Amino acid sequence: MWAALRSRSSSLHPWKQGIAVPPGLNPTAFYSSSFTTATTNKAFLSLQEIEKVLNDVRADDVKVLSVPNVHADWADYVVLATGRSTWHVKNIAQALIHKAKQKQKGVDRKVLPSVEGQEEGKWIVIDSGKIIVHALDEKAREYYNLEGLWTTETSQKEPNLELEKAFVKIRPKNNSKKPVQKVA
Amino acid sequence: MSALCQRRTFIQMRTVLKVVDNSGAKKVMCIQALKGKKGARLGDTIVASVKEAHPNGKVKKGKVVYGVVVCAAMQRGRYDGSEVKFDDNAVVLVDKQGQPIGTRVFGPVPHELRKKKHVKILTLAEHIA
Repeated sequence: MWAALRSRSSSLHPWKQGIAVPPGLNPTAFYSSSFTTATTNKAFLSLQEIEKVLNDVRADDVKVLSVPNVHADWADYVVLATGRSTWHVKNIAQALIHKAKQKQKGVDRKVLPSVEGQEEGKWIVIDSGKIIVHALDEKAREYYNLEGLWTTETSQKEPNLELEKAFVKIRPKNNSKKPVQKVA
Repeated sequence: MSALCQRRTFIQMRTVLKVVDNSGAKKVMCIQALKGKKGARLGDTIVASVKEAHPNGKVKKGKVVYGVVVCAAMQRGRYDGSEVKFDDNAVVLVDKQGQPIGTRVFGPVPHELRKKKHVKILTLAEHIA
């Protein structure tokens, strides 16, 4: 049991290396391939490829955000794209998966990026290790307001200081004719 | 078994959980844990009924909702051998397809959710444990 735990310990945060851990793969083979193909892993799309695919699909309002400090452990870039309808959003997801499949044509075992929200086309997240692509439709984009969330992330901690000062006890002004009753 | 340390258990029927998003609910009671015979753990989905809600929120008291457990008192093992556990049980309300109902998630959120395909909740979170 200890041996099993130790062999899995190097696969802590596998997404940091940019490689997903395919199930059932022999651990020793994984190590030998991880050091040689860490930077040239076929499974995960680079930023330029994602931008090209999104341009081909004609996604609106594509934004690339570098991840704020809070989320920096598990991703490097976040890409936001809007689709004009649910079908368009699903299409964007399909195009990205297709691109990932194409990239890995020669490989025996294909590693696909994980997709969430595929059945309902309102918000689809494609998680490919370092880069996370969010495909939303216009209503969802307004509703969740992801840019507002991430661009104001670092400044969210600062207003708290003023909040603490705001709760200073102020003696209430006694404008009535009655004298102040002492609280025993 | 030492009597000094508390034994934390699963989230099952009649467990009251805190809600950590801005969907309007404050407390929900679990009705069913969707996966697992003994109950739900960190990262699982549950069916719950809203017991307490903010007056003008998206969900009202008595509504049956789905939720994803983001904080659990029961420890969950990680791949490096460490274990995570929180002080209380908390949940984020989700609809049937897995879309979060609220727009922000408060408090720390463990990254077990990534493996369980709840990346949406992770993106809305303000702090990732």
